[in-house]
Formats: sequence, structure tokens, C-alpha cells
Amino acid sequence: MRRPRETGWTGWVLGGGSLLAAAGFAWPLFAAALPEHAQAAAPIVAFALVPALLVALALTLDREMYTAKTVALLGVLSAVGAAVRIAGMGVGGVEAVFILLILAGRAYGARFGFLLGLLTIAVSSVLWGGFGPWTPFQMFACGWVGAGAALLPRIRRPRLEIAALVAYGVAASYLFGLVMNLWFWPFAVGTGTDVSYAADAPLGENVASFALYTLVTSTLTWDTVRAVTTTVGILLVGPAALAALRRAKLGRPGRPARAATPRSTSLPGGGTRTHPSTVPGAAAAPPTGPRPSARA
Amino acid sequence: MLRFRIAPLRAAALLAGAFVGIRVMYRVVFGGASGGGQLLVDLPRLPLGGPFSHVALFGPVTTGGLGNAALSALPFALVILTFGLLNALIDVRRLFARGADRGPLRALSRSLVIAWATFPALIESVRRVRTAGALRGERSAPALLVPVFEQTVERALCLAASMEVRGFAANRTAPAECEKPVVMTDAFLGFEGPGENEHGWHLTGLTLDLAPGTLTVIVGSTGSGKTSLLHSLSGLFQHFDDGTQHGWVVVGGVDRAATPPRETAGFVGLVSQNVRLSFVAETVRDEIGFALAVRGVAAVIVEQRVREVAERLQIEHLLARGIDALSAGEASLVAIGAALINRPILLLVDEPLADLDTPARERVVQVLERLAHEARVCVVVAEHNTREWESAADAWLEVRGARVHALGPGERPSALVSAETAQASAATAQSTEVSRTRSRATATGPAERLAGIRHLTVLHGSERAVDDVSLELWAGDLVALEGRNGAGKSSLLRAIALPSNPGSVIVAGRDVAAMRRRDRRTAVALVPENFDDLLFAVTVAEECRRADRRQRPAAGAGTAARFANLLGLGSVTEAARLMRRHPRDLSAGERLCLVMAIQLAAEPRLLLVDEPTRGLDPEARVLVAAALLRASSDTSAVLFATHDRDFARCLATRTVVMAAGLLAEPEPVRP
Repeated sequence: MRRPRETGWTGWVLGGGSLLAAAGFAWPLFAAALPEHAQAAAPIVAFALVPALLVALALTLDREMYTAKTVALLGVLSAVGAAVRIAGMGVGGVEAVFILLILAGRAYGARFGFLLGLLTIAVSSVLWGGFGPWTPFQMFACGWVGAGAALLPRIRRPRLEIAALVAYGVAASYLFGLVMNLWFWPFAVGTGTDVSYAADAPLGENVASFALYTLVTSTLTWDTVRAVTTTVGILLVGPAALAALRRAKLGRPGRPARAATPRSTSLPGGGTRTHPSTVPGAAAAPPTGPRPSARA
Repeated sequence: MLRFRIAPLRAAALLAGAFVGIRVMYRVVFGGASGGGQLLVDLPRLPLGGPFSHVALFGPVTTGGLGNAALSALPFALVILTFGLLNALIDVRRLFARGADRGPLRALSRSLVIAWATFPALIESVRRVRTAGALRGERSAPALLVPVFEQTVERALCLAASMEVRGFAANRTAPAECEKPVVMTDAFLGFEGPGENEHGWHLTGLTLDLAPGTLTVIVGSTGSGKTSLLHSLSGLFQHFDDGTQHGWVVVGGVDRAATPPRETAGFVGLVSQNVRLSFVAETVRDEIGFALAVRGVAAVIVEQRVREVAERLQIEHLLARGIDALSAGEASLVAIGAALINRPILLLVDEPLADLDTPARERVVQVLERLAHEARVCVVVAEHNTREWESAADAWLEVRGARVHALGPGERPSALVSAETAQASAATAQSTEVSRTRSRATATGPAERLAGIRHLTVLHGSERAVDDVSLELWAGDLVALEGRNGAGKSSLLRAIALPSNPGSVIVAGRDVAAMRRRDRRTAVALVPENFDDLLFAVTVAEECRRADRRQRPAAGAGTAARFANLLGLGSVTEAARLMRRHPRDLSAGERLCLVMAIQLAAEPRLLLVDEPTRGLDPEARVLVAAALLRASSDTSAVLFATHDRDFARCLATRTVVMAAGLLAEPEPVRP
């Protein structure tokens, strides 16, 4: 199935919104460039910016997603995602949810993938109770993971596509850890350690501190586990799951696939049409039965 | 909107605690735990080099340093706790349930409502697939994940179709002309586009005119396109399944090709084939009122209309019930109620009787007949169970090949007639086969005792689904296990195949419960009622290979060959057309044969088949009957459960009747 191409103004809104949100994630890196009296406000702005952008993007995309098939698939798949995520917490934080996000994003397009990431976090957070200041950031990052899979170039050969998705999955696993650490780093470490975020330090030193922090915090542990899980998962279930998703044929939102024949389009769809007579005896007309051809 | 739940608060407290702990740990590791107070440990400081020259690890740890670290973490920990408190107090689900019918986030809110409603189904799906995996001897987890996933996607599509026909996401409503529910003029239905038309299915020259107050039954074999014809009226065929329509299909005066189903929800009602998969709400009341609620009708009016509909169908007592606590018959009535909420002029019903036992069938037929003849609704039913409709139907349409024929008075559906002759010939063929088997049995002396089931009991909660059943099976047996829905037939078969209950199952001299799971399939294999659960692969060929891989069959006796043989085809090459397809795209009869072939791969001595005729049209039943006969020559004995007495009588070498968990009749003495 051909993926819906990302065109139109919502594509730009999604792109622009993501860029702004990326700034919200990366505030510790460029807060030093801000005027001194604005530096203290940077984390607060970031905290407000990311949820606000999330709501704005959700509102923008909501109208486009308002078709029965999209809504049903989004709902059901985010339930699967949430189940996978909650089950993962039971087995030592093996994050398998990326497998679903990547495959569904690949099958149904960037917007769908983005919203699936968002809703998966929403559903699992509500069920498990893990709401916190990090939830909007998680939603964004998971949304990007889903959307990114759709933005990979089109690959015709199934094996190559799976290979590309595996490579993407590994990259996404580490990048996810990286960006989630980036905005949270100053809060997690606090002040007074050698890897603390220092607003007045040069960028190089902050980057070095952050690199060390992220290395010991997640890159070597959680992110690696996630990358391995995602790789194994996509290799094992990828072909079959992609086939299942594509069998469902999500049409382009708002443009149902239908064959408008010249005859039917030439007629205004109205209630008071006079109709050519149903000739009795024509091919499959019900000719003799008392009903249904009560008119004949 | 407000309520109190302790779990989120507890989770938040845990997270806050972990946050404080982790910050203290960072201080210790990255040289910041010194400060006032008592010295606890004096760790050496380890400066790093390179780009990390400003970092040193460890250093002295003091109580003051630790205290400072913990204190500095408190503000953020407090934020976490606040979120937890909000989460504990605000019922987010209710918030989104309200937003699902209107408002700027209705699409996402509806998705969330569906997500929460899907959770129980997901757990059920996992349970079913695990059972299927055990039956098939399949243990790898990813192989089991795929069916769960496929079932989930299928559920999503059923849900979507059901939402669409009930007016979800409609931004306009088409006006209806009540006098002409259905007018088709020289219409063509088919699938166009790359790769879609490989089976060449189409219907052409459709011309018909259905009047209000009539009940029309569309008959035809499975795969003939009854459902597509029905959905060309609901609009799902043109607007949801990517079907192509030419000519005119006019429903209630509205051009179907130009009007999606959601815009005709006001006057077209649809009861889909699998009603449980089409339920979108969590309670019966919300389910029946859904079509009004998505239009933004005031809650009071919705409630009143729901009561009206429930009274008419006599299901008031179900209104408060959860949607998952309904019997098959009740679920059908609820689905009919949900389709009636908008007072449709056209009601489309897709195979309403497939899952029901006789009393429930009579009830549904009666309800639909009254709707047509008393409430003047134009009712169209697609069905292959024709007998039940004989007194209620006003007109019959039969799909034959690419044409639809209106049957005159006294004319009988040809599918039925041909199926009866085919069944008769199958019966003769079978009787010769049976006598041959018997003569073989007598030739080799007295029949060998193959299996002994002793005092088997299955408890469902406190109910005894199977109550101390004992049964003997001989080599060469083809035994029918008869009984009504709920008699315990399925429980008995499952207990034989997966013994974990009181009682013993001995097959060919070995205790099945004591065998390793992998080896059990060489003794006994079960084709369950929902046999689709056993299909894991994306093509039929791969499915066969997978079955062979597990079992290492003798050369030339692979699953593909057996599948072709069960279908009555001479060789695998004749079945090549089927081998490339997705297993779920096969017809129901073919799928059942495939699953039987897979289950025979381990060469079990005893094959169990649960309700092989369920949901099959007469032709498919003939196919399955022949397949059962061939299977019985492949293994030592076959035991199949059915509630279809005729099928049992014409096929089996003997019959055992089960009622309320007991074998009702003493086992007849073997001739």
C-alpha cells in the first residue's frame, strides 16, 4: 500500500511544531546563550512549551484523523501499545513498544505514527498511574519515533525494508534515551556534582557533562536493552505484523476511496430524483415475485 | 469527574522516592556528597581525563552532603506527587468519554475510549492464542504475537465499519425518501485496481427494487458475494472496502456511490456479521444509544429512545449490563437495537443466525419479521441458513455466479438443492467408505480399543461443564458428539486434548496428561471451534511448511499434500492457487480443511474437531464432511462435536449425546 504523502499545511504544522518542541527538549544546551536574566526562565518556558505544543498539534491533527477507520485503528493499536508497555515494566523495563510504533508508523504514515506514540503514552500513563511532568516529553519523543519510521524512503523489497526498520529502530532507541535525558538532566542531577548542568559554563563543558551523565544513566543500560528488544522484535514479528497492518488498508483520511462513475456523478445526490423505470425482465430484475418488485 | 483512586498516588510516591534516591546517588558518584556533618565514607577522588577533565568521581561522603542532595531533590519530588494527586482525583477516562462525542479533540478522545474498551478484548485474545499455541504445539512467543495482533487489527476494522454506518464523523446527513428504500438499476459491483481482482469476483446487471415493509433474504454460497451485495446498500462496499460500483444504487433516494455510510446513518441500519466485534461502547445502554450520541443528541432524549427500542425488543433488563456479559442471542438483539435507534427505513442484517442455537434463532427471525411487517421497515438479510426464513421472507434473491436472481414463488435456492444432492452423494460415498473401513476392521479381527476417557470432570467456576464423563473409542471410529449450545461438548474436547482436569485420558495405551506437551500431538490433536486462531503465517504455503518443520513428516506426506487431499484435489499443484493466498482470505470451509491438515501433521491417533459446520453454507458442509471422512482414514479415530443433528447422523459411525455436562444416553453398543 502506498503511504499517504505528507503534504499540505498540517505537514508543515507538524514539522514546525516538532522543531519548536525539539528546542524545548534541548534547553540546557542553549540556555547559556540567552540573556542572563532570561536564563532562569528557560526550564520553566520549556516545561510550558512542550505540553502547549502537544495540545496544539493534537488539535491540528484531530480533524484530519476524524474518520472511523483511523480512529478505530488508533484506539485499538494504542491499547496494544499500552499493554506492551505495562507488560514491559513487569519484565525489567524491556521496552518493546517501539516495535509497534515503528511498524504502525511505517504502515500508516507519519501523522498516524505520531498520534499513536502520543496516545500509547496517554493510555499507559492513565492505567498505570505514571503521569508526571515527563509525560508530555515522553509523548513527543514516542510520537517522533512513530513518525520517523514513515519518513524513511520507500523501499520495495520486503527484506530491505525490514533491515532499514531495524537500523532505524536501533538509532531511535538511542536517540530517544538521549533526548529524554537532555531535558531532564538538570533536574535529575541537581546542582553540586561534577556532571551538573551549569548555566554559566561553556557549551563544551556542559556537553561533556551531559555525555557522561547520559552514558551512565541510560545509553549503556536501558537504551541498549531497548535497541536489542526492538531489533529482535522487528526481525521476528515485523514481516507478519506489517502485512497485517497493510491488509487493513487505511485510506487517505478524509478522502474515501470510491469509484465515481460518470453516470452517478452526473446526477445531483438529492432526495427527489425521478428514476428510469426498472424494466421487468431485464437481466436480473425480480420479474414475477410479488415483492420486492412491487413497482413492476 | 472527580473520584479518588489510591493507585496513582502510590505510583507517584514511589517515583518521587526513586527520584530523591537517584539524585543522592549522582552526588555520591560524581563527587558532590561532601559538605558539613559527619564523615561517613572517605572514597578516593578519581579525576577523569580528556573532554571530561572537569569531572572527578567519588570523594568523601558526609551526612550533610547527603542531606543537601536529598533536600535539593524535594521540590521536584513534590511536583511528581502533585501530578500523582491530580491523577488520583481526576477521572481522565470520564473526561475523554465526554469529549468523544463533541469538541475539538473528539477523534483522539474517541480513540482513547476505544483503547480502554479494547483492553479486555486484548486479554481475551492473548488467552485464546495461548490455547491455540498449545493445541498446535507452537511455543515460540513471536509466532503467538502475530495472531493476537491480527485479531486486534480485525477488531479495529469491524469497529470502524460499525462506527461508520452509525454516523460517526458525519458532517452532513442525507435526506431520505421513505417510499423507495432500495432501487438498483443495472448496477455492477467488483474490485478494480492492481492485485485486487485476481479472483475475478464481480456481480453485474443488478436491477431490483425493494419496497417498505418487506423482508428479503439474499442467499448464496460462502464467497458468492452476499455480504458485498448487502454492503453495497450500506455503502461500506463502496466507501470502506474499496469496492467499485457502476450503474445506480439508490438507497432511500440517495445515490450510494456519492454518499458515504456515515451520512445515511439516519435511515439505514446495519447489523454486522460478528456483532461482538462491532460493539463500540462499554454498556448496553451506551451501545444502543451510540448513533444518537455521536450526532450530539441531548442525553435525555437518547435515554428515552434507548428505552423505547429496548422495550420493543424486550431487552430492558439488559440495559445496565456490560457489553461483554451478553449471551450470543442477547448480543444479536442488542446489535439489532443499536441499528434501530435512528428508526431506519432500511435494515440490513448480515448472517444473523450463524452463532445462535435454535431458540435464539427463532427469536431473531421473529423480531426481524415483525420489524418488516408491523413497523414497515425494509429488511434485507444475507443468510445461508434458509430454512428458518421460509415463513418470514417475502422475497428471495439468490447470488449465482456474477448474477443475482429473484426467486419466484415455490422456487428453491439452487445452492440449497445442489448442496442437498451433493450431500446425498457424499452420504453414499461415505457409506461405502464406512463399510470399507468396517470390513477392513473386521478383516483384521475385532476392533482395537484406541482411547479410554475415564471420569473426566471440568469445572468452570463452581459449574460442572463436564461431569464425570467416561467414553471409549475404537480404531476406525468416526464419532459424533451431539448436544445443544452449552452442553459441555467443547469443554470435553478441550479436556481430552489438553488434560489438566480430574480424570484420565488414555490414548493408544499412553496417559496423555503424563506425556510431554510436544508428544501429546502424536496421540491426540484438536481442531477447535474458533479454528482461525491456529493460523499463524502470512501464506498457506508457509503455514504448511511450519507444520512440517515441527513434525518432520515422511517424504511426500507433507501438510500441503494433506491439505490438497482434504479438499478433494489430486495433488499440491492443483492447490497451488490456494498456497499463495493469505490463510485468512480462504473460504471458511477451506480454512477448516487447512487447520485439519495442520493438526494431522503430527499424525495423531485421535483427531478431535469442534463444531466443524458452524457458519458454513451447504456446499462448504459437503466439503468438510468429505474432509472428515478422509481424515478418518488418515488417523485411527475422529471425534467431532456438533449441534447439527442431520450432519451428525449422515456422517458418523455412531453418535454420543451430551446434555448439561453429562453423556445423556448410555453409549450404544458397537455393532
